[in-house]
Amino acid sequence: MEALTKMTRIEIVISGRDAPPIRELITSAGATGYTAVSGVSGLGHHGPHSGALLFNEYDTLTMLITVLPPEKAPALIAAVRHLLEDGPGVIFVADTYVSRPEYFE
Amino acid sequence: MSLEVRAVVARATRGVVPLWPLSSFIAVNPLGAREAEPFATAASFRPREAFLADYAAGRITDADLITAATEASPELLGGGEVAIDGITWSPAALVAHELIMTGAGWPTPKRSSTKPDLVNELVAKWLGAYLDPRSPWPMPDRSRGLWSAWSAMASYDPQLPRVARRRIRSLPAFADEALSHALAGLGLIDHESERALREEAEQLPGWVAHIKWRAAHVGDIDMTTYLAIRMTLRWVLERGATKEAPPLKFDQASPWQRADALIEAMTSVQATPALTASVVRILALHPAHLHPSTWQSAYEGHYRASLGAELRNATENPYASEIQVVMCIDPRSEGMRRHLEIDPQIETLGFAGFFGVPMRFTSHQARGSIDALPALIAARHLVTEVPSDPIAAANRVRTLRVRDAFAAGIHASETAPAAPFALAESVGWFLGLGTLVRTLAPNVAQFFRGLRERAVSVVDSEVTIADAFALEERAAFAETGIRMMGLSDCSPLVVLVGHGSTSTNNLYQSALDCGACGGNPGAANARAAAAIFNDVEVRQMLRTRGIDIAGETHFVAAEHNTVSDRVEILDRHLIPRTLSEYLRAFEAAAAKAADLLVLERARLLPGAHHRSVKRLRQRAYDWAEVYPELGLAGNAAMIIGPREMTRGSDLGRRVFLHSYRPELDPDGLALETIMTAPLVVAQWINHQYYFSTVDKMHWGAGTKTIHNAIGTIGVLAGQTGDLQLGLPLQSVAVGGRDIHEPQRLIVLIQAPVDRVGAIISRNQVLRNLFDNDWISLSARDDDHGTWHRYGPYGWTPDTHLEPARTGEQ
Repeated sequence: MEALTKMTRIEIVISGRDAPPIRELITSAGATGYTAVSGVSGLGHHGPHSGALLFNEYDTLTMLITVLPPEKAPALIAAVRHLLEDGPGVIFVADTYVSRPEYFE
Repeated sequence: MSLEVRAVVARATRGVVPLWPLSSFIAVNPLGAREAEPFATAASFRPREAFLADYAAGRITDADLITAATEASPELLGGGEVAIDGITWSPAALVAHELIMTGAGWPTPKRSSTKPDLVNELVAKWLGAYLDPRSPWPMPDRSRGLWSAWSAMASYDPQLPRVARRRIRSLPAFADEALSHALAGLGLIDHESERALREEAEQLPGWVAHIKWRAAHVGDIDMTTYLAIRMTLRWVLERGATKEAPPLKFDQASPWQRADALIEAMTSVQATPALTASVVRILALHPAHLHPSTWQSAYEGHYRASLGAELRNATENPYASEIQVVMCIDPRSEGMRRHLEIDPQIETLGFAGFFGVPMRFTSHQARGSIDALPALIAARHLVTEVPSDPIAAANRVRTLRVRDAFAAGIHASETAPAAPFALAESVGWFLGLGTLVRTLAPNVAQFFRGLRERAVSVVDSEVTIADAFALEERAAFAETGIRMMGLSDCSPLVVLVGHGSTSTNNLYQSALDCGACGGNPGAANARAAAAIFNDVEVRQMLRTRGIDIAGETHFVAAEHNTVSDRVEILDRHLIPRTLSEYLRAFEAAAAKAADLLVLERARLLPGAHHRSVKRLRQRAYDWAEVYPELGLAGNAAMIIGPREMTRGSDLGRRVFLHSYRPELDPDGLALETIMTAPLVVAQWINHQYYFSTVDKMHWGAGTKTIHNAIGTIGVLAGQTGDLQLGLPLQSVAVGGRDIHEPQRLIVLIQAPVDRVGAIISRNQVLRNLFDNDWISLSARDDDHGTWHRYGPYGWTPDTHLEPARTGEQ
């Protein structure tokens, strides 16, 4: 772990149709990239969610994952929390460690 | 601050549903963002007078109202009867009578503001200049983005006062900073800013909806920039933010007031306190805010019962099934399928018109590509076509390019400042003659157009499925298609019929093409699907999965023109000679069906009754014709199940028909795909028609006759202003008479009911749609089962579809 650099990992699970503004926030926050996993399945506050649907990406859940330096994270976390305040979607925040920090700065 | 303001913008505009460009018109539910709310409170309805007129005409009956009231408030079944003036009323009958006699629960008409807003005018002007791809004078600095281009140009805008222009010169360099700056300047903080931005976004709903689409698909504009410009203009003009629109006022009388009003309308005798109390107890079970939705349910219930009766007309006459014809689920296909099946050797099936092959397609002679797939998914595979004769293809493309260049030159000369005068002098007479012929004799104009097209030889080609899809993918698409449409025991000839529409001078042309193909004609998908099903390697792989397509079976692509109803066979050069007899039989049946269907449609088409088939087909080439066809007007239901459920029934081209056989879908995945894709698309179309009819000015696009196009983005009503949302008046009405009956989609599924319920329970989109009554669902296990309706209390017998059971309630 000593050779690794500490970063903040943010995961947001949201409906595919509501994902575009989240992606915009991530890029506006200075994140150099994100990973999108569509067709996320599971059990949530509103009941079970089927996984990937063959011909519908719009209504399935998407998980957006981004990693960014800790100093850039609070603004993004605050903005996403505000956006999700009274609607569907969840955010998870955790410390993480990366081997090539220049990829994320 | 910039992230925070972007989050506020996203919150303020999350109720906006994207508006696709005109070139690939996609029907959407304009209230799609509110599907988590009950339809009864989120949606708007026809005016009460329209329902009363239907009641007077017998389109809605007392029985319909009683059933609808009981469905809305099942507690009415347990209430006691009440006698008024010697007549005994059941609780549901009394509620039904209140619906007819009083206007409780209806909104008071809105007074529309006609005061022009300079900010709207300015914003519409600059958006048009920035986004119009064919603007005669391109906007300077466009490549630097909307904010930079606008702030540079607006400081010279003569419509703005000098003080405002001076303020614009010192704006921040970025839109989000400018928006924060403007909000602060207007004194808007915290929750006030979100409210103000929401109000601002509602000012030009068409532009806002298109920006939402464009931000996600093109990326040259975003909502933050749009609202930054609006708010900046408000600030520099010192106009203040838009005031919050007052909520709609409803006649929300208390049950006591409602009881007094009802009793007064029913009897001249003074009511006793006991009678009034009894009536109050009944009326309180059915709150006033449910009145519009109960009328709507009664309206739909009447159709539901007639649909059930028509389904009982389905015949079980044997057919040879020597030719199988697969058509799109589009309601227009229902008419063609019905007429084709007059020939007993033809079996028809319904499947989403992209035939399970989502793709981006580039024709060998085209400059661009089309996304030929449902709007619910993104294009990931590029399919092209390879001409069989490259030299002939190159010559054809060269000739077409020369023609395009000539047409573009004429157009440029028409729009350049001084050139029209020279153009009129040089070729004006010739063009004028052409205009005269096109106006007075569209068939002659089409004859010459045909000659011109035939002058350039058509080159055979083949779609490149092997380059676009790996073998495993091709086999997966084929297996999915077969399981979804329940295609078993393939005939020697299987025709996959996509559909497209032909019309002239019609900005809404793509709204008449195939919705499952992204508002494009379905020929490319039919060709690609046929190629996949004919692929020997695919068939080998299917065999290992338990699906056997016989070697002599051949799939043929075709396209149904929904104006002429002719079916054109595609890729003839790929069809084995051994199928000639079957092909001739199919073409003969299709030609007969086409003539019958054109005449059938003429009964509803404005100005078409008693016209010859030839005259009806000429509508496609008449540039003054605003009703080339009626599209999907009348759509009201979707049936998912085997054709035996509907074969022999006349469903009046109002029903989406998706074939399905549970026995070919042991794990239910095919049904889940149908319910989460074709059904969702059908629901979008259904609600687009619904809202374009019930509120033609707000959710509809108004009359075509005053439409002007902005490139291929959208249309304006007149010269400037907002982009028009929804469908034009001519898609849903003739003058003041509606030709579309605004009804929510009635979905009927023949499949194990437990399976249907499980699929709903694990898909949020279906829970929203069915639990909140945006659409309704009934299902039965098999053709011997009874219809059960999905509702808040689980599955209950569907009294509309099973009339014999009415008395059991």
